[in-house]
Amino acid sequence: MSIRRVILLALASVPLLAAPASAQQKPTGAELIASKCFQCHTQAMWQDQRQDTRAWEANLYRMVGRGALWSTEEIKLMAEYLGTNFGPQAR
Amino acid sequence: MRDLVVKYLSKGVSRRNFVTGLTKAGLTMTAAQSVLSSVSTVTLAQTAPATGPVKTFEGHGGAAFAEQLIASGVKYVFGNSASEDAQFYEALVDRPQLKYILTPHEGPGAAMAAGYVKASGEPAMVMQAGVVGMANAIGQMFNAHKEQTPLVFYSYRTDQSRRAGRDGFEEVLNQEQMVQPITKYTWLARRGDMIPETVRRAFKAAWTPPFGPSYISWHSDFNDEKVKTEIIPQDQFDPRMRVRPNPDDVQRAAKLLVEARMPLMVVGDEIYKAKAAAKAVKLAELLGMPVTQVRQLYANFPEGHPLWVGNLAGGNLNSLPYPKGVDVVINVGNKFQHNGANPIVPRGPKFIDMRIDHWSMGNVMLTEVPLVADVGYGLDDMIAAVEQLMTASTKQKAAERAEDVKKFSTMARTLRGQIVNSPDWDQAPLIADRLTYEVARFADPDAIIVHEAGSVALHSFDFNPLGGRELFFYYGAHLGSGVGTAAGVKLARPNQQVICLVGDGSFTFGPTALWNMARLQLPVITVVYNNHAYSGPHSRVINNVPGGRMVQTGQFVHDYLGNPDMDMASIAKGFGVDGEVVQNPTQLREALARARKHTVEGKPYLLDVQVARKGVGWAQNPWVPPIRVAETRTRKV
Repeated sequence: MSIRRVILLALASVPLLAAPASAQQKPTGAELIASKCFQCHTQAMWQDQRQDTRAWEANLYRMVGRGALWSTEEIKLMAEYLGTNFGPQAR
Repeated sequence: MRDLVVKYLSKGVSRRNFVTGLTKAGLTMTAAQSVLSSVSTVTLAQTAPATGPVKTFEGHGGAAFAEQLIASGVKYVFGNSASEDAQFYEALVDRPQLKYILTPHEGPGAAMAAGYVKASGEPAMVMQAGVVGMANAIGQMFNAHKEQTPLVFYSYRTDQSRRAGRDGFEEVLNQEQMVQPITKYTWLARRGDMIPETVRRAFKAAWTPPFGPSYISWHSDFNDEKVKTEIIPQDQFDPRMRVRPNPDDVQRAAKLLVEARMPLMVVGDEIYKAKAAAKAVKLAELLGMPVTQVRQLYANFPEGHPLWVGNLAGGNLNSLPYPKGVDVVINVGNKFQHNGANPIVPRGPKFIDMRIDHWSMGNVMLTEVPLVADVGYGLDDMIAAVEQLMTASTKQKAAERAEDVKKFSTMARTLRGQIVNSPDWDQAPLIADRLTYEVARFADPDAIIVHEAGSVALHSFDFNPLGGRELFFYYGAHLGSGVGTAAGVKLARPNQQVICLVGDGSFTFGPTALWNMARLQLPVITVVYNNHAYSGPHSRVINNVPGGRMVQTGQFVHDYLGNPDMDMASIAKGFGVDGEVVQNPTQLREALARARKHTVEGKPYLLDVQVARKGVGWAQNPWVPPIRVAETRTRKV
């Protein structure tokens, strides 16, 4: 099983709308994806994609056009997470 | 000359010989035509009334058909040419109130008729040439079926009554049965004098709610027969049924809504059809109730209203970011077409379902209170019942809830506005969102947007059925409806700007309606999102076969439309519509200004906007199947 698939399975197991550990603690990119993407998508939509952070960011803004309600900071965190774990060099 | 007139009135001389006789008697051609026109009026008057609203008509079956269409309130017939309908065409010459629009392909022609019916609320007729023309129209008949458009289709049977069943030219057995599953009513008239009755029944079926298409047919020789028959006006045979809901159920539903902690209203197309958007707003405001919409054709609630929480993006109401903890859901006129296993209204909240489309009620969702009604009447009664039940305390609760909803909708509007921060915003070719944004900035405050760019999400328009921008979307999904629909909408609403947004994939299924725009001077702006690809199927295929050989090799056989790239502006020019190719955001603004200038002058215009292929798995130069026949030839011919 590839590392990326392990990460995705872990993501999918995070409960939707998972709260961060404390009220003050900001959610991580992974937590944000788990809480905001799996409402409409399964991991199949992106599990085989590899692209850099900028391209992931553009993808996330496309979702804003489709009704996603995310702050700029949330989009940045999610894009960084995806760029790191699903970037061109990821296996 | 008097003898000549008498002969003409008694059908002893043809129209041509009548005019020739008049000119021989010394009249100029203009004067002769004028006399013909006056006398023809007298001729038509002779078909007039026997008793009350019922007229007795004697003449050809094709003329009886025309007479009944006029009596049914039809102004436009959308058709394609056929010699078997000759007597119908003949009848139109002296019946200028019934206008025939020649459409070069039955599919876009039917889409044009559907656009006209949707935008005008008036009946129309679609005619095709026998079974071959009908086969072309069936795609749009399917759309009318899915979208509940009251469109009446007719095509003759090529086989005449005395040679039917012999496998003749263009004959298929039981032609009318081919369309039965996608029409409300299908019938083959058995005699020529039954043509008007058949027409009446088709219109009655189509226009009795819930609306839908109907189809009628008859042997082609019936059009040529002399018949004596009745012509009856529409209001005598069509009840245009409007139903009030059961008062006890209204009381029960009102109590649930007033006592709810967090009610939610889902709106749908029956509101647009009943012109009841203001009533939906009133009910929502009374209760401080958030409002959403599951995919429909129209925008049925003002998107700028503080109680509007956005369209449903996911498969069921739980996917809404707000509100959470909904305990009562009321649907007003949404058809709820399910595309997934889960019910759109999840198990849990109490569900009130108000719509005239009783057939689909209770199919999937558990329904606490079914309210079969015209939603205009239903909302009237519900508002009255809620007002009666509201106390000072529940009014206070509703006001507080409205404030909460407003906080959310204000925040949501701000977040949606961030779309301009996309890192690709200024790129060329444009991203689809940039194109949508620029068209939304450009559109008139009361523009009508016809949308057949299936994989493009519309944002930034702030649709408002109460005098603002209107949306004409689709969910039939037989491609090629957009351009025709836009032409029909403009025919019905010439004094509103009409903009057609269409994907390149959809556009190539139905461009012939551009010719109708040019010929009829229908100044529509058509914007093609041209990414040279079927984007929707591309993404969904990857979703269905993640990690498969297609993804590994980049060999997608089904989605790339480039190499060579299609030039939609050149296609438009071939149909008599000016247009241009747009490569980047700066060019787009200038091109939109030119489009406006053209439409002000009464001419349609097309923008072929080059749009980037975005989403997962697109290569810079997508793979093309290696089929090159010229290289394999042994003779260079």
